Amino acid sequence: MTESYDIAVIGAGVVGSAIARELSAYQLKILLLEKECDVALGTSGRNSGVSHAGFYVPTGTLKAELNIKGHEMMPALCRELGVPHHEVGKIVVAKDEDEREYLYELKETGEKNGSKSLRIIGKDEIKELEPNIRGIEALHSPKTAILDPFILNIALAENAQKNGVVIRLNTEVSDIESNGGFKIKTNRGVFAAGIVVNSAGLHSDKVAAMAGIEGYEIYPCRGEYHLLDKSKRGLINGAVYPVPPKELGGLGIHLTPTTDGNIMLGPSAEYIEDADNTANTSEVMDKLFMESFEFLPRISRKDIIRSFSGVRPKLIAAGSKAPADFVVEESRKVPGFINLIGIESPGLTAAPAIAKKVAGIVKEIRELKPNPVFDPIRRPQLRFGELSDREKSDLIKKNPNYGMVVCRCQTITKQEVIDAINNPLCATSIYGISKRCKATHGRCQGGFCTPKIVEILEQLCAASPNDINLKGAGSELFKGKRGTP
Amino acid sequence: MPANKYVCIICPNSCEIEAELSDNGKIRVKGNLCKKGEDYARKEICSPERGLTATILVDGGNLPLASVKLSKPIPKKLMKQAAAEITKIRVQAPLKIGDVVMKNILGTGADVVVTKNVGRNP
Amino acid sequence: MIKKEIDVVIVGGGPAGLAAAISARKEGVSNVLIVERGESLGGILNQCIHEGFGVERFDEALSGPEYMQRFIDEADKLKIPYLLNSMVLEVSHDKKLLVCSAEGLTVTHAKAVILCMGCRERTRGQVCIPGLRPAGIFTAGTAQNLINLRGYKIGEKVVILGSGDIGLIMARRMTLEGAQVLAVAEVMPYSSGLPRNMAQCLTDFEIPLYLSHTVTEIHGKKRVEAVTIAEVDSRWKPVAGTEKRIKCDTLLLSIGLIPENELSRKAGIAIDETTGGPVIDEDLQTSADGIFSCGNVLHVHDLVDWVSLEGEKAGKSAADYVKGQKEKGRMIKVRPKEGIRYVLPHQITGKQDVRFSLRVMAPERNMRLVIMDADKTVKTISKKRVNPAEMISFTLKKEELAGCRDISVKLENAG
Repeated sequence: MTESYDIAVIGAGVVGSAIARELSAYQLKILLLEKECDVALGTSGRNSGVSHAGFYVPTGTLKAELNIKGHEMMPALCRELGVPHHEVGKIVVAKDEDEREYLYELKETGEKNGSKSLRIIGKDEIKELEPNIRGIEALHSPKTAILDPFILNIALAENAQKNGVVIRLNTEVSDIESNGGFKIKTNRGVFAAGIVVNSAGLHSDKVAAMAGIEGYEIYPCRGEYHLLDKSKRGLINGAVYPVPPKELGGLGIHLTPTTDGNIMLGPSAEYIEDADNTANTSEVMDKLFMESFEFLPRISRKDIIRSFSGVRPKLIAAGSKAPADFVVEESRKVPGFINLIGIESPGLTAAPAIAKKVAGIVKEIRELKPNPVFDPIRRPQLRFGELSDREKSDLIKKNPNYGMVVCRCQTITKQEVIDAINNPLCATSIYGISKRCKATHGRCQGGFCTPKIVEILEQLCAASPNDINLKGAGSELFKGKRGTP
Repeated sequence: MPANKYVCIICPNSCEIEAELSDNGKIRVKGNLCKKGEDYARKEICSPERGLTATILVDGGNLPLASVKLSKPIPKKLMKQAAAEITKIRVQAPLKIGDVVMKNILGTGADVVVTKNVGRNP
Repeated sequence: MIKKEIDVVIVGGGPAGLAAAISARKEGVSNVLIVERGESLGGILNQCIHEGFGVERFDEALSGPEYMQRFIDEADKLKIPYLLNSMVLEVSHDKKLLVCSAEGLTVTHAKAVILCMGCRERTRGQVCIPGLRPAGIFTAGTAQNLINLRGYKIGEKVVILGSGDIGLIMARRMTLEGAQVLAVAEVMPYSSGLPRNMAQCLTDFEIPLYLSHTVTEIHGKKRVEAVTIAEVDSRWKPVAGTEKRIKCDTLLLSIGLIPENELSRKAGIAIDETTGGPVIDEDLQTSADGIFSCGNVLHVHDLVDWVSLEGEKAGKSAADYVKGQKEKGRMIKVRPKEGIRYVLPHQITGKQDVRFSLRVMAPERNMRLVIMDADKTVKTISKKRVNPAEMISFTLKKEELAGCRDISVKLENAG
């Protein structure tokens, strides 16, 4: 029996999930397909978590338009969905005369794009805003914000599901037949859909090709990051980007705080062959730290608690000077097939605006009747560690599981772990649980709490110990357990 | 390590002991700080022995496993086999340090002895 | 919120905490309380099922659980109260503790606090090992917990980074549990484990040890598929051309322990960045009045027997403090000099016997420890063998310390 939908969205990253949620505000049968065991395992879970104000994008592009719109929509969206969002601001810092021009170029671009709050500040104000940063002049963007990209993606998907979207994880598309409607072949059956939205990120070129749409090629470009211990959070207040070096070889580092209270160094940029190669390399990790240290000597190697990387789905090849814009359009060759290709930065910021644009495209294709029971609200997760002592005390009285601390580094309680395991998407990989409750994200990186989480997982899910995995099938933690057949 | 040089494992002093087996069957030992070390080297050169610690399964207890040890060292060459035998042991709680859960493992005369108290699960 | 008043609160019910609590009680303080975050007392020794503990203290080579049971039994006999599954969230400089448990959030006012939180393990992330981040990477202690306490089989083909005792012990343990340990890589040109552990854990099972080697890449997207190891130069930089790829499904990391002083730092207690633990005086008192520290949280130990001694000292000091018997005296600084990585305590009064603990910088033979007071030699102690992995302890009597103003300890050739 082939399941039949009005719309199938391929890829449950932040863009695909935003689209599914946007469309769930209408009376449509929507399917959201994701090949991984959870959302946010691709580029959506490997980025700086910044809602950009719109001065890094070329004027007149779709990127610029959707950046500005998305940035404006983001605070309200994050409130609706219970996503941590902090307007910490950003400064781009010039250290000498030669670098000042760059600041003015950025400001001009930003203003042409519609960014209204950019300002140039001098030495004294730099010191006031960022006591640990030195510079002669800086571009200050007070409205640049940081948000939790994992929670945003998860929240969009959960809210979409709440509003009727059917989400199928662990479902990889292998072929698409178009014959007055689409038949989508996956490893878990065939699905029929009237309209397909291709938001497959790093593999969106391949998915387009499956439907007979040639001509797109993704050039994967990897960015490595370091995550610093929370004890160093106070070194900067908002995001700080030194003006990128003109000479070749320099990485051009960014220092970005996270909503969890860490600081991220990075990303770097390196074109790679394999889009899924999210490795860290010794050369880049070294360079990333050294350049960051030169800029902010109060960090030390000991502060690095983790490194990771994300891959940008670029539409331009290495060395090419040709500008590349977002592709957000219905295919001319295959009507009803909407492609989202090349959604690299500012993809996260633009996601809500992309979703609205796609809804607009769908409206041109078919009638859209509003869903009268659409509920845009998702309640934020409770973070025990952020409550006042009184609130903590009252909570434990109501539920003793809040008194059992599982993750010591982040003060995450048993109930929070239980809630994370019982998530609506049924994503029970260790990564999935961790992204939701933040256990294992601290300085001991799960050394202390992993055995406890595994124990709770086994109890709650009656999972076989051999099924407990880090990030989906193939990443199982154990080869067996004593006493278990 | 040359064939007749041993690092004594009896205590943290870790003496480097030389033991020589001469043609007439006598063993000469030097480098040890105490008699235990001398005995150890003598054994090592002829019939090395080892202690073994492991875990056994416990049913109905407040812990799923209990740690165990051997009551005396066994021939080194039987270690892996002994470890495999111990893995098969499964007992009911309660357990006390000193309880014998297997007598005379692999005919060595060594017993498997519990080293962890396990209470009964209420 | 629940409020409590306790004379001596001991944070952590492992080897240090239990010894401290028993000692404080024996010194006459009845109102003591151990706050333990785990499900039982015993701390890390609960998972150390191997033998070798207690050789000095009991003249027996006990397993970890047996060693701890001696102290647990004594604590029970003395009816020392303890809380389990209770996490200290905060300690203030003036000894107020915020404790979180299923019973609720408690604010405990203590007259004295003894910090015994132990340590945590250095992680892959902290040493920036290149490569992917697959499942199958475990720190040795976490692996030990999963295998010894819970019975999980964590892998079949194992490479271990770090030849310290924990890595060596796990090499043996995993081999006996049926896994194949393919290699142990050690970045230093010598192993930091006890020679007898090298013998029992590597030589016995013919596990190859690669000194001056490190893991330069981890392979495998979902689960570890291989690691690349390479030789390193004196600055720990990989030497090109020496790479060796080893197919495996598990990487165990035994790359160091870090005293867990988050609570101490938040309380504003001064920390020695070399030891990773609090700055202390001869009574094991930290820079916060009435807050003491002992065990691995103060400095990482190799022998639990010495942890127990330190715990007993801290317990007595806390008891003296509560009884109002602690004198405040002028402090004489104690400094590490040539060849010495650190020496504790950091300062002394010179008015009582002091047990000093130290670690040397590098392994040497035929040395002598020279304890100086400014440029005057106070005492020399010959040492046939010294090793950074083996803590050295010696006691100076108050007669030997009389008149001293500026103590330092150095290591020199015995000549």
